[in-house]
Amino acid sequence: MIKSHPSEAILYQYASGDLSAAMTLVVGTHVDMCSVCQQTVCEIEHDLCSKHLDTVVQTLNTPSHGYSGLSKTDTDKMLEKIFSSEAKPAVQPDELICLEGRRFVLPRTLAHNRARIGDWTNLVGKLWRAPIDVGDRGHTNLIYMEPGTQVPEHTHKGQEATLVVDGVFNDEKDVYYNGDFILLDADRTHTPQTSAQDCLTLATLDAPLYFTSGISRLLNPFSSLFFRASA
Amino acid sequence: MQVTSERTSQRGVMNTTQQDTAEKAAELLAKVAETRSRAAFSELFSHFAPKLQAYGTRQFGNEQTAMDLVQETMTNVWHKAHLFKPDRGSPSTWIFTIARNIRFDLLRKNKKRKDDISADELWPILAEQNDNLDDGYALDNDVLMQEIAHYYAQLPDPQRVVVEKIYIEGKSQQEVSDSLGIPLGTVKSRTRLALKKLKELIVEHD
Ligand SMILES: [Zn+2]
Repeated sequence: MIKSHPSEAILYQYASGDLSAAMTLVVGTHVDMCSVCQQTVCEIEHDLCSKHLDTVVQTLNTPSHGYSGLSKTDTDKMLEKIFSSEAKPAVQPDELICLEGRRFVLPRTLAHNRARIGDWTNLVGKLWRAPIDVGDRGHTNLIYMEPGTQVPEHTHKGQEATLVVDGVFNDEKDVYYNGDFILLDADRTHTPQTSAQDCLTLATLDAPLYFTSGISRLLNPFSSLFFRASA
Repeated sequence: MQVTSERTSQRGVMNTTQQDTAEKAAELLAKVAETRSRAAFSELFSHFAPKLQAYGTRQFGNEQTAMDLVQETMTNVWHKAHLFKPDRGSPSTWIFTIARNIRFDLLRKNKKRKDDISADELWPILAEQNDNLDDGYALDNDVLMQEIAHYYAQLPDPQRVVVEKIYIEGKSQQEVSDSLGIPLGTVKSRTRLALKKLKELIVEHD
């Protein structure tokens, strides 16, 4: 049972197409995994449609004020272009990802972005990262923690969104399972860790992480390594 | 496709009108999907194009970009009508989500890289549904690699090669498809068959 969902405001921006690509990917992957949010998104899309399309009642021949309408010539030209267009080839999602003998089936939205996932890098100890190139500023990664892994305590400059794709992890505040979506503000300090189980998460971050605990200073290059897409 | 309204209760009229419109549009979409009917599509076009144009104009503040949105949205409707599922929502909501995707792409086109992410990757609403993600990799997650390693030698060569690349070399299915020069669909079906076979072998020997 998923207990941690994106807020309705975020779902609204997701459905209207107003989130960044990276955030859309994380929220969309949550929605793939969450029947509750699927239902909410359906309702929001219905509302958005009522607001943006259904309220427009003018037809071809009766354009309303402030709106020039489509002429017969425009319409014929467009139809001709549509009928002579080629269908785009169907996209085949690639839903499988492997690491260290583990195999994960990616949720639908993530599977459609499989080609954007780079190679795994072992960061430190039992912590792995694969960058996802979504073309936004900020950093989006798959993070894999083997059992008994602790990410050094850190804060970040920007907002961090994390989704549990498979497994379980906890921080000081709570335990998170498959499908849980966690949004952290810039000033929150936290220490994600796994115990008996491993965990695959999808995470996006506006700005690099800054580690706060003493020992982590030794891992100075680590903070940028963690979230920077490899060149 | 304009529906004449009887003036009884305002709300009732709205609902009935919307429902009639939705039903009519769903029939037209089915006709386009089944018979590639240009007449049915033209009727859909004259109903939805002005709405899409108004949406585009409000979103972009630019007539030309609004026209691009109409063009690209309706092109998708023409080619993908078979993907409309009446049980999941109304035709206009489906068309709205297509327009939402086109808007996202048009907004990003300004700061364009060639391989920039597209809305169809982020909201894969127009992907064919035939490849069900659930039925494919039915091996339990805790099946150990050693077990696979132990039995995979018994697979027929084409399946073994695919399994080797994916599970031992850690390649993606797309990479395997590229390196072997076989279609992705073939890689998928070979993986599926191989996993089915492996599962049988493992169960047999347990
Ligand atoms: Zn949810």
